Amino acid sequence: MSRFRVRVSNGSPGPARPACWALVALFVLSIVSPARAQPAPNLWFAGTWLVLERSQTRGGEIAVPTDDPALARFLAHLGATLSYDPAQRYAIVTTADYRTIAFTIGDKRYAVGAVTETAPFAPYVSGGEAYLPFVALAEALYVQPVSQADATVLQPQIASLDVRNEGRVSVVTLHGAATLRFKRLSAGSDGRLSLAFLGTASTLDPYRDVAGDGLRSISISVGGSVRNPTTTVTFQAPPGGLHALMPAGAPNALAVAFAPPGVPLTGTPVPASGVASVAAAGPAPVPTASEQTTGEYAPAGANVPAAEPSTYQAPGYAAPAPPAPASAQPVQVVNFESEQADQGLNVRVWLAGGSVAYEWHRLPDNRWYIDFKNATLAVAPQDETLQNDAVLSLRLKQVTLDPYPVVRVALSLATPRLVNLVPFDGGVTIAVDRLDDLAPAKVGIGTLSAGVLAAATPTDQTVDQTPAPIVEPTPWKFTPVPVVAYAAPNPRLIVIDPGHGGSDTGAMQRGLVEKELTLDISDRLRSLLVARGWLVKMTRDSDVDVFEPNDSAHDELQARCDIANRAGARMFISVHVNSYTSGSLNGTTTYYYKGVDLSLAQAIHSRLIESLGTADRGVRKENFYVIHHTVMPATLVETAFMSNAADAQLLRSPAWRQKVAGAIADGVGDYAGAPPPKSSAPAETSDTDTPVPDR
Amino acid sequence: MRLLRALVVVALFVVAVYYGYRVFAGRPRPVAAATVTVYYCKTDGETLVPWKLTLGPARDRKSVAFYAATQAVAGPSSDIDAIRFPSGTIVHAVDVDGSTAIVDLGGALAKPTAGSFAESAEFKALVWTLTALPGIGSVQVKLDGIRVPTLPGGHFELDEPLSRASF
Repeated sequence: MSRFRVRVSNGSPGPARPACWALVALFVLSIVSPARAQPAPNLWFAGTWLVLERSQTRGGEIAVPTDDPALARFLAHLGATLSYDPAQRYAIVTTADYRTIAFTIGDKRYAVGAVTETAPFAPYVSGGEAYLPFVALAEALYVQPVSQADATVLQPQIASLDVRNEGRVSVVTLHGAATLRFKRLSAGSDGRLSLAFLGTASTLDPYRDVAGDGLRSISISVGGSVRNPTTTVTFQAPPGGLHALMPAGAPNALAVAFAPPGVPLTGTPVPASGVASVAAAGPAPVPTASEQTTGEYAPAGANVPAAEPSTYQAPGYAAPAPPAPASAQPVQVVNFESEQADQGLNVRVWLAGGSVAYEWHRLPDNRWYIDFKNATLAVAPQDETLQNDAVLSLRLKQVTLDPYPVVRVALSLATPRLVNLVPFDGGVTIAVDRLDDLAPAKVGIGTLSAGVLAAATPTDQTVDQTPAPIVEPTPWKFTPVPVVAYAAPNPRLIVIDPGHGGSDTGAMQRGLVEKELTLDISDRLRSLLVARGWLVKMTRDSDVDVFEPNDSAHDELQARCDIANRAGARMFISVHVNSYTSGSLNGTTTYYYKGVDLSLAQAIHSRLIESLGTADRGVRKENFYVIHHTVMPATLVETAFMSNAADAQLLRSPAWRQKVAGAIADGVGDYAGAPPPKSSAPAETSDTDTPVPDR
Repeated sequence: MRLLRALVVVALFVVAVYYGYRVFAGRPRPVAAATVTVYYCKTDGETLVPWKLTLGPARDRKSVAFYAATQAVAGPSSDIDAIRFPSGTIVHAVDVDGSTAIVDLGGALAKPTAGSFAESAEFKALVWTLTALPGIGSVQVKLDGIRVPTLPGGHFELDEPLSRASF
């Protein structure tokens, strides 16, 4: 009662009460809304302000909503994409080099690939939108925030530099935050190649001793301003050696190979001047043999003509190293040390007594070991449990002594970490990376001599010791397809379907347009088949949409099927040209879907492979619309890959396209024999039934 | 005074709750490790290779399906030769309706496609990944929220749910 009496009688609150209420209100407010809207922080990125429009702060850290337009621009610049669905709890960013950064709503931990990190705050949902820790995200994308007086500069980094010595060739791969743009500063006869990466900083070690035949060392320096840094990477190779850009597998990666004098190297010349992105530098001419022997390629500008960089072959690269003869003096393991590395471990093995053959195995249960053949231990065996995030334990022992001594170094890895072998003058370092190796089971063999590894190609392999069958690659097998008899109402009629057309260009690469190539080949095929007595109907004979201009995919594809189905054709042949996002795939593929398609596809494919000289990608069953929805035997021929330099060169040749048409026509003959006499053809006629001579 | 004391007690209680929330709610809770098997297709277009990924702490059905689909679309790291979805492909959403996972894709995938060879291999890996999850037998692909017969300029048929037997 006294409370009410005080309140009512005084008519105004006592002096302590407003403060209490304010205190309570403040706490309640702080709980209900722990994140506060914040004026956009001054972020400078890629030459301009990055204005986060609806960011908040949590504990002083920037929280950015997943639908912030500035975040979208930031990610797009880095070639990254964000996938988030409010109905579930993950927000996953995929980087340009196919790493994933997985945030979980309500949990501070986030995964960068297989590595778990901790963010300053847990991502949260507010107003139906997920808010992510921006700095943690930026750093995972290899972008380093650097404070300046008036802004925080987001500096894209060259984040890693990997060196592989393969045979006598050294391959250096750099990974950047964004597409790496470089300028070649020098590539003189002294073997020094300097590349300046514009707008990119780096915190990598300034010097790295490679000690390979093709490359001796790498120096890194960072210059320019905070807002516009430049990282210069200088590769010191033997005078007269060769260097070339190699396919790096991702737009934010750059791979340069170095070969010593006398070792051929096939790749893409590094542009001599100007600024070229990796993407622009990729399709450059392959140097000729004479260029290769000079040790220097002709200068090329930024706008290099399209051609495919092909893989190099260094002598002995793919050849497994033979084991040391049993009669040779054994090599000795004279020292053995392990040391912490950046989120990994380096195990250094010192060897004395000459070259040694080795064989390493990655097992699916995260064990990794290397055997040094014809080697003996000159130090005590070790069996050590480690306090290390990457490696749980480490063992060194003499596996066998007589008649053939083998020393083994075995690691129990915490996760399937990538393990690299890096030679040094006195032996080899087994470098356990912070990244995981996704290939679950591998084997590699090679020799180590005077600080140089001659490695054979690691191969995915099922290993005897494998306890987990799940990791074995699963070969795909098709189930048998029932053959349903088809009696063609019009047994002399063949429908040819030139793939794409009109508003649908099909693939376009290297100056080639699929719809034009398919029409050209189909025209040639029509002529050949007509000359051999067949009636032929084309789904299109000019550059048009078959159903109607700008029609839907369904209407367009169904219209092509309808033409063949209504005409009661004996068979349906769809002509296409394949492509892929890189030049790595090539060859000819022939597809079928229904049981009745198979013999036709096989007959045509055999002739194609026999006459074209392309790689054989086989006869495959796929649920492609036009061979599914046609009732007669149907096949879809992917003649070659326009994305591959060699295949594209073939596709450009009219003579080769004529060969394609000839092979398909021969395959039709193998499948169906001669066309039936004209009397067996019903009233349905083709648009072309006049025999024309072969071109 | 009693009112003041009561308010102080309430305030202290609120403070305790608030700091308890700040200290414990944001702290990762230990979660038993769980993995999903994600597949990628080698460049031969045939061989599917499984690899295991550790899940984050969200283990509800939709979250797991979304996680697996996004990882399958991303593919393995760049040093592994694999047939990949076009760079820039986005997983908008993954819903689960009975035994069918409905995957809504977009981004670069909605642009005119690459060739047929990659197309079927991409979906093969996605379908195998999602059908490796308990209770999922088929996958319906949508493009920017719409069921489509094929990708734009594409070949592979997408208008019906895909299962492992579709390939």
